[in-house]
Amino acid sequence: MNSEALLEVKNLKTWFFTRRGIVKAVNGVDFALRRGECLCLVGESGCGKSVTALSLLRLFDSPPGKIVEGEIIYQGIDLARCPIGHLRQIRGKDIAMVFQNAQSALNPIFTIGDQIIEQINTHLDLNREQALEKARMLLDKMRIPEVDRALTQYPHQMSGGMKQRAMIAMSLSCDPCILIADEPTTAVDVTIRAQIMNILQELKRNRDMSIIFITHDLSLVREIGDRAAVIYGGRIVEIAPVERILNKPAHPYTRGLISCLPDVSSESKRLPSIEGNTPNPMDMPSGCPFHPRCNRVMDVCRSVLPELMNILDVHAVACHLHPNLGK
Amino acid sequence: MRNYIIKRLFYSVIIAWGILTVTFVLLRIGPTSPVDRYILNIAAKGQNVESVKQAIEARYGLDKPLIEQYFTYLGNLLQGNWGWSFSTSMPVLELIGSHWIYSFQLILLATIFAIVLGISIGMLSAVKQNTKFDYAASIFSFIGISIPGFWLGLMLILVFAVQLGIFKTYYDTNYPIWSLENLKQLILPVMALGIGELAGYVRYTRSAMLDNLRKEFVTTARAKGLSERTVIGKHVFRNAILPLVTIIMFDLGSIVFGGAYLTEIVFGIPGLGQVSFNAIFANDYAVVVAITLIGTFLVLLLNLGTDVVYTYLDPRIRYD
Repeated sequence: MNSEALLEVKNLKTWFFTRRGIVKAVNGVDFALRRGECLCLVGESGCGKSVTALSLLRLFDSPPGKIVEGEIIYQGIDLARCPIGHLRQIRGKDIAMVFQNAQSALNPIFTIGDQIIEQINTHLDLNREQALEKARMLLDKMRIPEVDRALTQYPHQMSGGMKQRAMIAMSLSCDPCILIADEPTTAVDVTIRAQIMNILQELKRNRDMSIIFITHDLSLVREIGDRAAVIYGGRIVEIAPVERILNKPAHPYTRGLISCLPDVSSESKRLPSIEGNTPNPMDMPSGCPFHPRCNRVMDVCRSVLPELMNILDVHAVACHLHPNLGK
Repeated sequence: MRNYIIKRLFYSVIIAWGILTVTFVLLRIGPTSPVDRYILNIAAKGQNVESVKQAIEARYGLDKPLIEQYFTYLGNLLQGNWGWSFSTSMPVLELIGSHWIYSFQLILLATIFAIVLGISIGMLSAVKQNTKFDYAASIFSFIGISIPGFWLGLMLILVFAVQLGIFKTYYDTNYPIWSLENLKQLILPVMALGIGELAGYVRYTRSAMLDNLRKEFVTTARAKGLSERTVIGKHVFRNAILPLVTIIMFDLGSIVFGGAYLTEIVFGIPGLGQVSFNAIFANDYAVVVAITLIGTFLVLLLNLGTDVVYTYLDPRIRYD
């Protein structure tokens, strides 16, 4: 299955060494991203999904953050350890990122055109005219009206949806093969969310681009994802094709998440929820990090951390409930 | 934008007129007269004090009602006549003309010194946050902000001029303005005047840089693959400079009106501060009003300049 892996993450641990203690935001994440697939990283706020994404390009604040263990293999190079100069050639060129909030992710005092052209000039050998033409084309593909005007506009002169699309255009400016989208629809309203999702789907289909899509919204996972990885307490607790994970979730936490999806046909007035809070990353529970909230907790869960094991070729889960995993 | 500038200039004239009126009235309602200095000399020669005083006052129109004197002064001013300096016996404009350059060179050099060093140290401090350099810069700036400029000036003279003998203890006007010797003798005054501002700029730059370093667009800039030099020097700095421009322009006002006066007196520099200091004690009202007026206009124009510069630095700001 991993023969076509474009990016391979092995036992990644990103910890933050703060004055009050060590925050183990990412604590042993493994996954492989295949060419042309959309892998969704799903989880509650604070589960470590965004830090996982930032870790891939070492974009977290360092200090206090540090990759203490693990590898991020891209084209035979370990991005977790390679010299920063090499990583800079990959940032924005091979692997690009789209952030949650375009309002704050774009620099307020440079025009959209300048910000896009800056990225093009960093990686591609184009003259001013060619770069401008490319920027124009990119914005046009994002269905931004009046492209020439948009190029000279500052972020505050654009609507929220335009800004988000402009940022996607910028991230695509050097034709990356991997796009990391960190909750790109969280800060926009529903109509714009639909536009953004359409754009991402097109990219996947037409450009054969691999996408890492980070979200807490399972309905978006169903819409765009090929595979989904559920993250809890800085670790992947379950990873499987989207159809499978939505219909046959194996981990109690995944089941909880899916049962929380609102169901219009249901008669009940109250939405179900998972009791308890996300674990404190500074003080993880012993054993399985989910055990204090788990409704099927066993003695072993309190002391032994379950490993991520395959229950099917394509479906892996980290839970003691599945005794048939290879122990 | 053009209308905005015209409107602001109009307000500036009104403000300057108000300040002129207050200064004029305050100086003229005092118990002393501008001719008192003359009288002292005359009294020593045994002449009739009262009659001479009346004669001089009548000649300069000082015996007329205050309101009439005020309008005469205002009328003259509008015709370009800035009045007569009694204490130095020359036209005010000529007096200012021969002294302004000393103030100007001091203020200009001190401001450049404070801005260039202050912003550089502040930027480095922010980039190297919580390192020895940062701590040293912080300690230096707290000391610099706390020390009054005139005291620092005296200490500098004491150490570098009196004890080490590197500099002269007094400003020497015999050197031409554009000479190396003149530049050298300005080193201590520029430090005395500039270090307080410099220390402030270090703190402001540091905190403005740190504020912006935490912004999300910095992560975006890094994610684009930009070098750290571009990220800090362009994306962060261009945002951090916005509050700094306001502070620097604001500080220039306090340098012009406060710091430079004291520094000139401590170092014996014959600039407008010195002239105006002497004029106040001589009750030479025309000189005081003129210098106050020039200072006022300078500050108002600097403020207007700041606001105009702002529209170029920050596209979010527009005056319509």
